[in-house]
Amino acid sequence: MPVGKSIRMNSIFNPDDGRCVMLPVDHNFLVGPIRGLENVEETLKRALRGRLDAVMVSPGQAKRLAHLFGKRGSPALVVRGDWSNAFREKVYTLPVRSIQEILIAHPRDLLHLGATGAVIYYFIGYGDEEKQAQHYERMRWFIRNCETVGLPCLVTVMPMGEKINGANFVDFLELGVRMAVEAGADMLEVPYTQDIDTFRRIVAAAKGVPVLCAGGPKAARLRDTLEIVVELLHAGASGVVFGRQVFQSEDPAALLNMLYALVHEGKTVEEVLGLIGRRVRLKTLAEECIGCRLCEIICSSSHGSSFSMDKARLRIREAQGKYIISACTLCGLCAKACPTGAIKVNVELGRLELNEEKCTGCGKCVEVCPTEVLKLDEKRKPLICDRCQGDPQCARWCPVEAIIAEVY
Amino acid sequence: MTLEGRGYAGKILYVDLTKNKIWTEPLDEKIAYLLLGGKGLGIWLLYKLTRRNENPFSPNMPIIFAVGPLTGTSAPTSSKTCIVTKSPATGTLLDSYCGGFFGSELKYAGYDCLVIIGKADDPSILVIDNDNVDIRPAGQLWGLTTLGAEKEIKKILGEDFKTMIIGPAGERLSPMAGVFSNLRCAGRGGAGAVMGSKKLKAIAVRGNKSVHVYDEKEFNKMAWIAHRTLRMSESTARTMPIYGTANILLVVNEAGALPTRNFQTGRFENAEEISGERFRETLWIKAFSCSLNCPIACSKIAAVNDERFGEVTVDGPDYETIFSLGSNCGVSDRNAIAYANHICDLYGIDTISTGGIIAFVMELYEKGCITQEELEGIDAKWGNAEALVRLVEKIAKGEGIGSFLELGVKKIAEKYPNGRAYAMEVKGLELPGYEPRAAQGMGLCYAISERGACHLRAYTAGGELLGHLGGIDPLTYDRTKVMYAIDRQDEKAVIDSSVLCFFTLFGLRLKEVYQMILPCTGFNYESEKDLKKVGERIITLARLYNIREGFSASDDYLPERLLKEPLPEGPAKGMVVRLEPMLKEYYRIRGWDENGIPKHEKIDELRLSEII
Repeated sequence: MPVGKSIRMNSIFNPDDGRCVMLPVDHNFLVGPIRGLENVEETLKRALRGRLDAVMVSPGQAKRLAHLFGKRGSPALVVRGDWSNAFREKVYTLPVRSIQEILIAHPRDLLHLGATGAVIYYFIGYGDEEKQAQHYERMRWFIRNCETVGLPCLVTVMPMGEKINGANFVDFLELGVRMAVEAGADMLEVPYTQDIDTFRRIVAAAKGVPVLCAGGPKAARLRDTLEIVVELLHAGASGVVFGRQVFQSEDPAALLNMLYALVHEGKTVEEVLGLIGRRVRLKTLAEECIGCRLCEIICSSSHGSSFSMDKARLRIREAQGKYIISACTLCGLCAKACPTGAIKVNVELGRLELNEEKCTGCGKCVEVCPTEVLKLDEKRKPLICDRCQGDPQCARWCPVEAIIAEVY
Repeated sequence: MTLEGRGYAGKILYVDLTKNKIWTEPLDEKIAYLLLGGKGLGIWLLYKLTRRNENPFSPNMPIIFAVGPLTGTSAPTSSKTCIVTKSPATGTLLDSYCGGFFGSELKYAGYDCLVIIGKADDPSILVIDNDNVDIRPAGQLWGLTTLGAEKEIKKILGEDFKTMIIGPAGERLSPMAGVFSNLRCAGRGGAGAVMGSKKLKAIAVRGNKSVHVYDEKEFNKMAWIAHRTLRMSESTARTMPIYGTANILLVVNEAGALPTRNFQTGRFENAEEISGERFRETLWIKAFSCSLNCPIACSKIAAVNDERFGEVTVDGPDYETIFSLGSNCGVSDRNAIAYANHICDLYGIDTISTGGIIAFVMELYEKGCITQEELEGIDAKWGNAEALVRLVEKIAKGEGIGSFLELGVKKIAEKYPNGRAYAMEVKGLELPGYEPRAAQGMGLCYAISERGACHLRAYTAGGELLGHLGGIDPLTYDRTKVMYAIDRQDEKAVIDSSVLCFFTLFGLRLKEVYQMILPCTGFNYESEKDLKKVGERIITLARLYNIREGFSASDDYLPERLLKEPLPEGPAKGMVVRLEPMLKEYYRIRGWDENGIPKHEKIDELRLSEII
């Protein structure tokens, strides 16, 4: 690799681990105005307080926001060299057959704008094969011109067009990745394929060219996003290109720091979110409850009782068309009533603890429980709520966040 | 290795109402491996337990309530019940699915399946309390509405019993009577009438056992991924929870595929008025999960307060009901639609067929084929909400003309042969809410569905109209479209046998289901293709049942209107359904002959010859 390109690759990918956290903010001129990018400069200023390796921008942004990027230690700048109408949302949405992609800048110009890398799309799946051929020719022309100036080229491969349906999405993505690799792409960005196995196939098709995964629409839950990142890294991804996930979150810098810790420092989701050994209480929002009772099923299962509605440490009931969530409030009455001291309230960790040897199975604790959720199992031991060691599974699985693990 | 503890209870519960006999039999591992449970198991039992041409109302006809390996686990929507019997409406196989918490309760009681045969001398109810099963007199319950009976049963037995109940329509053997569980129902095809013919008013079950799976840790990991995937899909995480299944109504209307005025057109001028958005603004007061672990909560409760109808609380209306009682009858009065839905629920009939019948009657009336006098004074003009409600009441109660109309569009057309061209039924079942001229795949879907016109057997509309899985062109009728339909049909057969709710497929793919089935059962399916093969096997078995009952290619028809009348407006303007080429290709890919009969090689390849 020519030294210029190698220096640039090393500023996009950390040479120690070959990985990268990239923040794209070039959405507006492709999809229409979106939330979080109303004021790109403000958003970037907030985000750049976090740790990241590179920012993806349009040529106009590279020019207009140059003052944000020129500093020592600034993230590498990856500048878009093409434009497309394929991603337009809502009122701007177009039928797939109208998809266009054109080059808007020569790699030389991007270099002048301070680019460390260039980025273009490669769509695969046009109904019209002539359109496909023209797109391939454009991609090859662009990459060749990147090579002459030593600019690494990122190709975003997207299955797109009349030929694509859900069943063949991954197959076309794999084909598109191969085409981009053979055209000389230095790095690749691909959409999430919804599971690890198929993502592994994509990484294999890339033949060692680093593969970054795009974030797509923002997930409702941070934990879901972070878990997927870890799964992607396991599947061989070299990092992420997360835009909406980052700038539509409350604190973009904090999210970037979390991504950075997962991508570069090998941290687990639990570590990043600080879930282990927390002192939590169960906050219940009955008006949000949809009565699916997954909390009971998963409570039973995660305490070794398999799937049962009778072994849960909390209970959903329906009365007058409304749901009532009863869960342990750590009032301590059961511990007080216990004649042998088998039940203890661990105030520090915020949970109940049971000494099974001391428990005689008298059931006094059940009698006094004001929430009426406490019951005895078949061995006559009370099913106490231990808050799942700080990560209550009822709260984790609740689809509507009607139960929340609240740190106190 | 036994099946027990691998997602299965390992037992089938048999009840003979004639002999008052109750016994259990083990569930065969090979059957479970080849057919999973639910639909697959139900059809196999029906095939084995009945002889050719058995009358649906004969005491020998079983009614089967089957669940699957995922039932009662942490998988999303894991309490749906599959009901299998022979349809009194069509004479074909009937598999119908019911929400509510009956399915998981049956599993917790220790059964994968409940088979009821025989006929009780007097109205009865069946009570299953774990290992204790008995048949009791129904007493005062006979004659009560679905909701009334449910309330009484819970009063007698306790709140923790889950029920399956028929309404007065089922008692009098209306061919469109459903089976109801809490507020949910297995509506289509008349399973309620089969139950009624056995003089069985209700089944109540309570289970206190645990469901065990093969590898619980791994299973929960995969169930978590399934839940996460549903949380990340726009349709299961946002549009359905907020606007219910009716979220699609305006999209479907835009595509010119919202059947309007008995399928005369695919655009309803008042679609806005009956959209999910408007129902949410004006009537719905809450969303709820009809099934265990359902994160989607497409079900809505409507509170109707109208001087014409009084104050009623209704479960719904959902998309299909809004289409059938709304646009298909030209009605845009939301309160009337919701109230008519309520009447259907109380008396226990299917809303899709009810709306289909009324739309047909309205067209006959508008065309002068049926008179106001014949309709007992009802002015059945398009869009007349009062006429809609009165007709629904007559059909629901089987009063006057209602006792004739409830026989369905096919029978009505026999009396009014001029209406034959626009009698919107296939095999005797009324059409659901997607205009096939604007979504060609749905034409194939209605024609080949084993229980007559049904949208849920090869739901191409997801791709054709709603952009599922990246979308597919609605107007094509080529090999790709047929393959797409076959994939959807096989996939759905797996979902129906697992048993999960159809709507999970608005977020999940077969992959996520496969990932759960493996640690659940410990079966050695090598890839999701093996699971798809299970789906193909079940579809072929269903076909073989219908073939045995005398059905063949000539029954895979569509109403003449769809084949001959070009659609007058919308993006599909000028289109008719090109059924012929799709059907031919469908049989060919399926390995069925030109008469629609599965070939011997196919039956062997699918290992069906080993089990039937």
